[in-house]
Amino acid sequence: MEELGATASAVISFSEKLEESSSRFYEKLAATYPAHKDLFDSFARDGRKNRTLLVRTYQETVTDALETGYSFKGLELRSFVPDEQLQEGTGLKSALESAVALEKEAARFYTDISERSKTLLSTIPAAFKKVAENRRGRIQRLEALSSTP
Amino acid sequence: MALLEEPIKGAPTLRNYIDGELVESRGELVDVVNPATTKVIGRVPVSTKEELDSAVSAALEAFPEWRRTPPLARVRCLFRLKELMEEHFEEISRIQTMEHGKTIDESRGETRRGIENVEVATGIPSLMMGYNLEDVSAEIDEYVINQPVGVFGVIGPFNFPWMVPLWFIPYALATGNCVVVKPSSEDPTCQAKVAELAEEAGVPPGVLNVVHGGRAVTNAMLEHKGIRGICFVGSTPVGRDVIYRKCGETGKRVIAGAGAKNAVLIMPDVNLAKVMPALMTSFFGNTGQRCLAGSNLVVVGEGLSESEHDAFYRKVVDAFVAAASKIRVGYGLDESVQMGPLRDRKKKENVIRYIEKGVEEGAKLALDGRNIKLVGDWPHDSFLNPTVFVDGSPDITIGKEEIFGPVANIYKAKDLDEAIDQIERNPFGNAASIFTNNGKWARELQYRVTAGNIGINVGLPAPVAMFPFGGMKDSFFGVLHPQGREAIRFFTESKVVIQRWM
Repeated sequence: MEELGATASAVISFSEKLEESSSRFYEKLAATYPAHKDLFDSFARDGRKNRTLLVRTYQETVTDALETGYSFKGLELRSFVPDEQLQEGTGLKSALESAVALEKEAARFYTDISERSKTLLSTIPAAFKKVAENRRGRIQRLEALSSTP
Repeated sequence: MALLEEPIKGAPTLRNYIDGELVESRGELVDVVNPATTKVIGRVPVSTKEELDSAVSAALEAFPEWRRTPPLARVRCLFRLKELMEEHFEEISRIQTMEHGKTIDESRGETRRGIENVEVATGIPSLMMGYNLEDVSAEIDEYVINQPVGVFGVIGPFNFPWMVPLWFIPYALATGNCVVVKPSSEDPTCQAKVAELAEEAGVPPGVLNVVHGGRAVTNAMLEHKGIRGICFVGSTPVGRDVIYRKCGETGKRVIAGAGAKNAVLIMPDVNLAKVMPALMTSFFGNTGQRCLAGSNLVVVGEGLSESEHDAFYRKVVDAFVAAASKIRVGYGLDESVQMGPLRDRKKKENVIRYIEKGVEEGAKLALDGRNIKLVGDWPHDSFLNPTVFVDGSPDITIGKEEIFGPVANIYKAKDLDEAIDQIERNPFGNAASIFTNNGKWARELQYRVTAGNIGINVGLPAPVAMFPFGGMKDSFFGVLHPQGREAIRFFTESKVVIQRWM
């Protein structure tokens, strides 16, 4: 059954959950580390914008006549396991490591979907690519913060 | 996978929407059943002739003022309607899945296609313009004005309960006409939603009316002298022998979209892996309940020796059966599902009769969808899995008649000429598709075939809202087609003015 892969609906639901849980993760970081509140809050806001972008792109391009139900051939959503958990009492360094790991997994997911959706309307791979780039941009900022003494 | 939340709670009773009011019908109520779960999710009235009359009276009364409303003001209602449809996008889509059975991706696709017609109709201030020419004779100028016609009846089908009425309603309203809609009583809720949103968008009372029901409402529409035209999509016997004939007798303009038997040609130069998703969607999308669905898969041996053709045919059959057998069937609100149930048990039984007929007439059953395998524990009542016949022909019953279910009939044609002859022998003319990289072959099909929608490397040639939804032979009765410019022509009358000032 995996040959026909995940439906477009399943991919969008997964993306929505990923953006929402990531936003909650950063809100928690913002509350825990007030010195970096602005940065973490901006990531949380970006997550909600990403979610809106992806859902809007899907809803505006899905049509009953395209092969949407069969587009993500061989995709196993279970193979992407972003971890948004933050243990109580985690130090900043360790929290930043968790955040970088989350961003790398999310960027891997969105890049994969962008590649797989290249045969669809151009707005679809473009939206996933944009979110992947947004996530990769966060990695740089998180790593920069981590290396700050 | 968990189900998406169902938007319809309990089993609400639908009411008619007449003259801007929700009105309880005096007719008996029939159950609306979710084909996947078999639960009753609503009750719809079988409205009476008197109730239809009252809707037409409201529309006739609303017409003079609506036609005088400036086109820009009319389309502002449509802009608001479009925004409301976007806001309710998910709810509308899930209602379709609950009532019709299609997957959530398919329902969202249908919702989008409907909204696109509203978007196109918002261009009416430009699209409805007439034309003129000075000096056609000495000091005489001549011009054409496109005027609205009056009240139209729209009779919706069960297979696209949201989209098909929207092939007509936005254009009718934007051009200044009034409408009475009779949704399919099998899945009526999303048209009730259109009425609700139209009211919120500021469409005046009487301009859009919804009367639920069955044959009595249809017959009353056809007979009513106040209705100037009918838009219908359904079966060929009803479209031709009832709607088209009656409209001829009563002088109504008519768009009657009807049945189909669509061939998909596979040429030897295709990349099979690439085309397979398009073929699966074509044959099994919407559970085959679609007038554009692929039904006959023709493996064409153009330029091949007999043994090469045989080998190519086997390759196509193997790939097609392998892909079809992997389609996940279940309740469409489960996001992992790729094909939903038939609309009801009776429709499934009809498809089974065709499967039995195919076996009787000698086609080989390579994949028997009667062996039901579902994602989730649902009653089997309306479910079938994809079914594939091989070594069939275009001349057996399953090759000639519309099955309206997830059944593919695969056979060979020795060359493109034979394949086109086979298509032309069939009385239907809705769609034909070809998969090839050869432009000449594609053009031959496009040029010679008598079908209204041609797919070139597209398995489901569904025109977008700016283009007419074609149809020829026994697949369409009328002159102008749904959607786009043809719909605008249908809903307007040309008045020619020849003018001289002395």
